[in-house]
Amino acid sequence: MKRGIIHGLLPLLLPYCALFCAGLTLTLAQSLGLFLPLGSGEGTLQHYQTLIQDQGIRQSLGLSLAVAFTSAAGSVLGGTVLALALWRMPPGLRRVGVVSKVGLILPHVAVAFLVLLLLSRTGLVSSVLFQTGIISSPEEFPNILHTGSGLGMILAFLLKGVPFALLLIGAVLFGFDIRLIQTARMLGAGPLRTFWSVTLPRLLPAMHSAFIILFLYAFGSFDIPFVLGESRPGMLSIRVFDIFFQRDLSQRPEAMAILTLMFVFAAVFAMLYNRFAAYMDGWRRKL
Amino acid sequence: MRVIFLLSLFLSLVAGCSETPQEESVLRQDYASLENLARGTEVRWHMWGGSAQINQWVDTYVAGEMKRLYDINVVRVPMDAPVFVNKLLTEKAAGKDTGTMDLLWINGENFKNSMQAGVLFGPFTDRLPNFAAWYDPQKSAHDFGYPVDGFEAPYGRAQFVFEYDTQRTPVPPATLAELADWIRANPGRFTYPQPPDFTGSAFLRQIFYATTGGHEQYMDGFNPDLYAKNAPLTFAWLGELRPYLWQEGRTYPKDAAALDTLFARGEIDMAMSYHPAHAQMKILEKTYPDTAKTFVLAEGAIFNTHFTAIPFNAPNKAGAMVLANFLMSPEAQLSKFKPENWGDLPALEIGKLDEAQRQAFDAVDLGAATLGADALSAAAVPEIASEYLELLERDWDKIILGH
Repeated sequence: MKRGIIHGLLPLLLPYCALFCAGLTLTLAQSLGLFLPLGSGEGTLQHYQTLIQDQGIRQSLGLSLAVAFTSAAGSVLGGTVLALALWRMPPGLRRVGVVSKVGLILPHVAVAFLVLLLLSRTGLVSSVLFQTGIISSPEEFPNILHTGSGLGMILAFLLKGVPFALLLIGAVLFGFDIRLIQTARMLGAGPLRTFWSVTLPRLLPAMHSAFIILFLYAFGSFDIPFVLGESRPGMLSIRVFDIFFQRDLSQRPEAMAILTLMFVFAAVFAMLYNRFAAYMDGWRRKL
Repeated sequence: MRVIFLLSLFLSLVAGCSETPQEESVLRQDYASLENLARGTEVRWHMWGGSAQINQWVDTYVAGEMKRLYDINVVRVPMDAPVFVNKLLTEKAAGKDTGTMDLLWINGENFKNSMQAGVLFGPFTDRLPNFAAWYDPQKSAHDFGYPVDGFEAPYGRAQFVFEYDTQRTPVPPATLAELADWIRANPGRFTYPQPPDFTGSAFLRQIFYATTGGHEQYMDGFNPDLYAKNAPLTFAWLGELRPYLWQEGRTYPKDAAALDTLFARGEIDMAMSYHPAHAQMKILEKTYPDTAKTFVLAEGAIFNTHFTAIPFNAPNKAGAMVLANFLMSPEAQLSKFKPENWGDLPALEIGKLDEAQRQAFDAVDLGAATLGADALSAAAVPEIASEYLELLERDWDKIILGH
């Protein structure tokens, strides 16, 4: 049976694996100084050393992690709250949930421009406030996009992430067997207890999946940071782009080393997070 | 069985893109037979596509004339230079002998990188009649200090200017010291694109020349000791002014387009461009106010030449050479010089032209916002070797940005 599935998938898997593995191998090799268009062609770990000693890379890593974590956690939280609110609504009103599809359909880069257009100091919101006399000059508008903390990027990721989390979590919620809750209530559980012991455990797998997908996407994404990112600290993906395209060819291994480390991080993170989620799940069941 | 078939199909797709390489004989033919060879073909010109006006000039004037004169179809492919250089490196590594690009618009680091990796075709400029007739080989012998050796054909010149609005700033700074005073007196109203952006990096070199006593000392190639001695002056100047920049110098516009937007919206009072007629173009586009003007500092304004080059695996080398030759012709240079078309400075020697042609060039009015040819050439200073450029960009990252 299993063999059959693998055989069936082979025509798709083979090109995918070939391209993916070839790209990965080349990245790894170039990060070690091999197979470069220029250079000695000898393997070296020097580029990894440069990275480890580079203060700026640490700052970029910190920012990438912070932005990814905040936006993913915020999206899952927002998506869950909205999904629950929608679920409690009378079926006729549930259609308003369609609004969330807008966020799903818009590409990331469009959302980034939307945030830029609305929230920059000379943007639409600022202009409206200025024209209506609420603020007396564009300088009074809060400097949301240039706080040095990635707030603009987080807002854009939330705009994309909340509808995504809503979709995943809502799908579980709307397929939920209502009798479980009725039973809990009949057995005397309060609304909070019902949510905590009956509803939430069934939502958790979807919440974990949403979190890990959104976190890893934001961690490595390029489009939103390219439009909304600041010079310092820059997101890791933007630094890779700068080194790869705009610097001297001799610095290319550094870009490849960052990419390799990002890949390793993503893989390890996904693995550990799944372990953690499974452990939490088991721990909850024991309670 | 089906799996094996699909696998072999996939492998042949990956590997089967190469054909027999075009022979290098195009370099041995005379120009007339090259023209014959190129007739009825297609030339794919890969160039920076960030300016709607330049794109239109290529699509209408260049494409039209090439069709009329040589029956050649010019296809403009918008692509940033680092991207197509990268594509060439990959194609070279993969052994792909027949590529997809015929002509490239290139200069500076991208040219140096391509030459070092051996991905350009040539030397070919000595085969082009317009180069021999109208150009001074000495003036285009180096590209950012890197020897050209006939591997690129000059087709335009650009010069660095600052942009301001007379409405907001009646008298612009005339020297570097006045610029510093102006920045201090107007906190938050000045910034520059973040190097290694092309324009931001040019601003950095501009300040490097101006703070370290002029360009002459850097003209004999790269000297690391000289750089180590002089660069601290530049970074001290930039560092001292950083708190007075837009967003207190914590962040910088990503590229020249972002800088233009800030200037047009009135978030800053000064912009800059490596294209003297850029402000005029922006006025015609109605993005800049009519009162926008340009200025250069007394310490000098960097100019450079931009070129066309042919990839080693260009499928239509003859056509590419005919197009490169056409772009160098007095007619194309004149059309390109007109501000309603592009406003790009001619690369040819106007002194070599006949009287009527010379008058046609003199008659071109670059608009009120553009400085006159005499003001520009009085301030013109040449570009620096790209080793300096790379060090300046790297150290700007470390010292000014604090990475």
